[in-house]
Amino acid sequence: MPVDLKFVDETLERIGRKPEAVIPILQALQDHYGFLPEEALRRVCDQSEITPAAAAGVSSFYDMFRHQPMGKHVIHICRGTACHVNGADRVEEALRRYLKIPKGQDTDPAGEFTVEQVACLGCCTLAPVVRIDHTTFGHVAAEKADGVVREFLSAREAGHAPRSTEELMRVEDRQPQIRIGLGSCCMAKGSDDIFHVLREAVERSGAPVAVKRVGCVGMCHRTPMIEIVRPGQPSVFYAGLSPEEARELVARHFTGRWRWRLSRWWSRAMESLLLEEEDGTLERSAMDEREPSVSSFLGRQVHIATESFGKVDPLDLDEYVAHGGFSALARCLGVPAPAGDGGAGAQAPLEAPQLIETIEKSGLRGRGGAGFPTAAKWRLARQQPGDVKYVICNGDEGDPGAFMDRMLLESFPYRILEGLAIAAVAVGAHEGIFYIRHEYPLAVKRVRAAIKICRQRGWLGDRLLGADYPFHVSIKEGAGAFVCGEETALIASLEGQRGMPRLRPPFPAQQGLWGKPTVINNVETLALVPWIIRNGPAAFAAHGTATSKGTKVFALAGNVLRGGLIEIPMGTTIREIVEEIGGGVRPGRKFKAVQIGGPSGGCVPARLADTPVDFESLRAVGAIMGSGGLVVLDDSACMVDIARYFLQFTQNQSCGKCTFCRIGTRRMLDILDRLCTGKGQPRDLGELERLARQVGAGSLCGLGRTAPNPVLTTLEHFRGEYEAHLRGRCPAGKCTALIQYHINERCTGCTLCAQHCPVDAIPLTPYARHVIDPAKCTRCDSCRQVCPHSAVEVR
Amino acid sequence: MSASITIDNVRVPITPGQTVLQAARSIGLDIPTLCYLEKCGPLNSCLVCLVKINGKLVPSCGLVAEPGMVIESETEEVHEARRTALELLFSDHVGDCLSPCNRLCPLGLNIPLMLRQIQAGQLPDASATLRASLPLAGVLGRLCHHPCEQGCRRGHWDEPAAIRDLERHVADWEMGLATTPAATGTTQTQPLKHREPAPGPQPVPPFCPSPTGKSVTVVGAGPAGLTAAYSLARQGHRVLVVDRQPRAGGSLLKLPEAELPAKVLEAETALLARMGIQFRLGLELGTTVTMDTLLGECDAVLLAVGELPSVEAARLGLAMSGPHLRCDPNTARTSLANVFAAGAAVKSVPQLVRAMADGRSAAECVHRFLTGQRVRRPEKPFSSVMGRLSPGELKQFLATASAARGVSPCDRCAGLNRVEAVHEAARCLHCDCRSSGNCVLQHYAQVYGADAGRFRAERRPFEQQAQPGGVIFEPGKCILCGICVRLTELAREPLGLTFIGRGFDVRVAAPFNAAIEEGLRRTAEECVRHCPTGALAFSDKAQLSSP
Repeated sequence: MPVDLKFVDETLERIGRKPEAVIPILQALQDHYGFLPEEALRRVCDQSEITPAAAAGVSSFYDMFRHQPMGKHVIHICRGTACHVNGADRVEEALRRYLKIPKGQDTDPAGEFTVEQVACLGCCTLAPVVRIDHTTFGHVAAEKADGVVREFLSAREAGHAPRSTEELMRVEDRQPQIRIGLGSCCMAKGSDDIFHVLREAVERSGAPVAVKRVGCVGMCHRTPMIEIVRPGQPSVFYAGLSPEEARELVARHFTGRWRWRLSRWWSRAMESLLLEEEDGTLERSAMDEREPSVSSFLGRQVHIATESFGKVDPLDLDEYVAHGGFSALARCLGVPAPAGDGGAGAQAPLEAPQLIETIEKSGLRGRGGAGFPTAAKWRLARQQPGDVKYVICNGDEGDPGAFMDRMLLESFPYRILEGLAIAAVAVGAHEGIFYIRHEYPLAVKRVRAAIKICRQRGWLGDRLLGADYPFHVSIKEGAGAFVCGEETALIASLEGQRGMPRLRPPFPAQQGLWGKPTVINNVETLALVPWIIRNGPAAFAAHGTATSKGTKVFALAGNVLRGGLIEIPMGTTIREIVEEIGGGVRPGRKFKAVQIGGPSGGCVPARLADTPVDFESLRAVGAIMGSGGLVVLDDSACMVDIARYFLQFTQNQSCGKCTFCRIGTRRMLDILDRLCTGKGQPRDLGELERLARQVGAGSLCGLGRTAPNPVLTTLEHFRGEYEAHLRGRCPAGKCTALIQYHINERCTGCTLCAQHCPVDAIPLTPYARHVIDPAKCTRCDSCRQVCPHSAVEVR
Repeated sequence: MSASITIDNVRVPITPGQTVLQAARSIGLDIPTLCYLEKCGPLNSCLVCLVKINGKLVPSCGLVAEPGMVIESETEEVHEARRTALELLFSDHVGDCLSPCNRLCPLGLNIPLMLRQIQAGQLPDASATLRASLPLAGVLGRLCHHPCEQGCRRGHWDEPAAIRDLERHVADWEMGLATTPAATGTTQTQPLKHREPAPGPQPVPPFCPSPTGKSVTVVGAGPAGLTAAYSLARQGHRVLVVDRQPRAGGSLLKLPEAELPAKVLEAETALLARMGIQFRLGLELGTTVTMDTLLGECDAVLLAVGELPSVEAARLGLAMSGPHLRCDPNTARTSLANVFAAGAAVKSVPQLVRAMADGRSAAECVHRFLTGQRVRRPEKPFSSVMGRLSPGELKQFLATASAARGVSPCDRCAGLNRVEAVHEAARCLHCDCRSSGNCVLQHYAQVYGADAGRFRAERRPFEQQAQPGGVIFEPGKCILCGICVRLTELAREPLGLTFIGRGFDVRVAAPFNAAIEEGLRRTAEECVRHCPTGALAFSDKAQLSSP
């Protein structure tokens, strides 16, 4: 099929012909053609300054680019940590089987569906998660994976195109309102549908209430969640609504005659939806923050980066300003705050050196992982000579199991923008860049909208907030490479190169983008900055420990009852997070460890659960703070498998530049693969440990230097499990090559297992005890999941 | 005082902007590198140049030297890191430095090189190659049990190359015994243009090293003794061979004429004599001459006397261990000072070539002893080992070799004639790496004692892309140093080379699936020259035709 190259020419006209435009150009081509046809790439090289070597090198580096056509629809299977421990590989296997995708390929023979793995969709509390085109599905069970595809197709046939939730609407605070969280996780559980249903119901009934879009509500385990706010009355929360129920809800609360319109059956059904205690008592409650499950979830939290979570519309600039937004930036620029004085007028303007000093006094350290003092970075950049400097917001959150930055960008785009502008003023930069991974389309959309709205107000551009300070902001989307979270790789990517890190020093603050001083701050770091300026460094430093000040946002997920997005003061212990905030593990299971810090972090065993969460204490137990993924593991998790999972991730994400990371992580993975398949040899453990230390010491960048952490911590704390694998046994029953499924005497011959077995390994023998053929069994776990009598056991 | 840094307690002056590597090299300190080329700037990819600073390992090629830096380079920890980097590279390095035949030859003859020289008609060169490893080549060319041919990859396809016959051919040519093809009657009529053999016969001028001033007496003129004498003489020592027999040759003298014509052995001994080796024959040790006399006349004695009855050993004052002479397996030393031993006196070895190899190994111990080095047997030369090939991989090797089946000499007794030898030699698959001996990876593997087999891993398939312009690209040998990618970029190649993919699967290739040579229109010579391994090389033909 000949490729229509007109689009290439238009794209070059629109984006540019400079070498650094290569990634945006390829992104546009990928969006348009669904892959990168070679003719199109050649055309790009003919018509621009981009060389064939650059086009081929760059397009093969980033995950989002494909060189083969794909199916009509793309199924992204999230391979994040939470999804992994909740059976993502079984979901993938089931989908591939259902779609009849041959081994070694990614598209079904009819070209309908392409299955791709994605490092993390950042909806960890809904694990396992699957996204088909633009629709995200949470809690996908392997046994029902085919249903997700059917649901997607039938919705398409019914012509239900996803509707936008992005138009701006103003809702006055005093007005009765229904607040609904519209972050990506909420939407994955259907809150966008509920949002539209609510608005239609309100419109039709003429009820005196507004439907208000808010950002992340934090309690991801209960989404979609709705808060009904009426002046003078306590809020009522509803969790897990269906569209029909949402319609009834409007009637119930806002039309006077609701009571007689509801049958008794309906009201009972409604009550079951009210947020209630975990024990299931049907206590009708005007749920507020004193509700036990909520109060323990929220009790320890301190909201600084997530200030006014669940209350404000992400894109309502006036509301942001009314909550003190942009007053910090105004102070740094020495201009009046947009909301008027509001008491803040008493504060003296903050010149750049004092501004940096303020941040220094607050003790703020970078939230991206390493914890480098933010003020020191700013000061270094400020000291560099020259007029051209850059500030970059690093939104390339790639850790599987982490979604803090996505949530912050989606919920508080103005706050991050203000933080970035303050950083710019502090270092003397006039150009800012949001680098956001393309897997976060909603975050990109909201930040783009926020920038546009600020520009329209005249607050961005030649006069930042009306001051004589030009500040231009743009967005660059990552193209799918975890390593680009590393500063020097991020810069390489912005310059249109393969995202390969280089040796530091020189640090980016000395020589960064285009060789100019460049400050790169993590999203959460920037989100904290305006609060620190508004409330003073002491207020921030009042939280936390001696060396780790303030709060930290965590994505709490994994084998825990109440997953979600939490912000806690530094120094909170792991136990407090897991047991109080998260409500512990599922009943009947044992808390085993937390994985903290993602692929660069480590596993902290339950016996060290009293470790306070701060930079130094975590490092002392072999983990790191990381960007904030916190995955709880119960006794069903195999620690060798977890180490292997993370190493697989880093190995897959290694840029391939330096020997230690490229080959070293692979050789470590070889050993772990052998262990997990029962082919380990006694000398393997020693070699694994030795090599892990050498890879950690010898690698060029942070990715390789920290990649061995998950292996080293599990080796240290769970060596017994490694030794068991050497003997061919997986104590947690996870490693499929080391386990067998059996049906015990509890079997009633109900045939459910035989019906669900995808590979016919269980002959159908009604009313008789069933038997599994181990030769055919693929250990997909379907039988155990469907058995109503717990008759399937793993040995 | 000018600015300086300290490397391993040595003060190293620096100039502004200089890297630690540059500073070190400016005073002759060797920090190993594979991916560094001044012109390309630091590429930071191989990480073999690690040094330690402030408790951290950092690649010295990219580390800008700041006055006062304290650097560790030659420490155990740094060496271990460098060694690990090399070992990791080897675990993903698909290729053999040395061919299997070469590795299997107990005397380590560079067989593929000799075969290429035969094929090119360069018999004097072939003879030099042969003689670099083999004394008594004419004998071995007839009697060797040729383990080399068992390992010959060609044998996995049809028949192994007739290596022993080719050895004999070269040796016979030297000694003027070689046959020329009959005017008619041979089936192979391929013209032999620039392969015209050098005129022979003529005595090969013996290899003359500069004298060391040391002298050794070798007792026993059998295969082990003569080999030892040959090695020691090539190293510049004055060598005297004594034997109780009136003629040199030991056990070889008992062989029938049909197996070993007397004139061959005579010619070989004559060669030894021409090298300056003295013979005192018909001299019985212990009766006509005593050990003390011998020791008084020279710096060391090497006993290669064959099986020695314990009574005689006792008479000579030598300790026994069972039926054999007591002899340290690592140093070849006997119980007497300055007396070494080799051959059947120490251990019965049935194969001729192995006995000779033992003689050479003991001679190496003597040599190290005489030159004041630590006495030990020679190390096996380092080689990356690819292991068994799949039929598909073998086919890639066949692409550069003659497709003909093995050649049978038309006159069995006379051996291969010149034309036959050329055709047989052309069957060699060139299993050895084109860069062996000129490979930085191989070099530092030897320096750092890297174990190429430390990591067990699944091997990538061997691939060889022979390009029409003479470039041979073997992707499995590429260590992704990035030098060629950068050189093509600097030269503004129209297509150039690039990295394709990410992580472990990164490969160097020309864009858009073009052939590698397409990316090297201006830079082929430069890239081949600077490739630190054998990933990029020129074919033999291309090398021959270049000036």
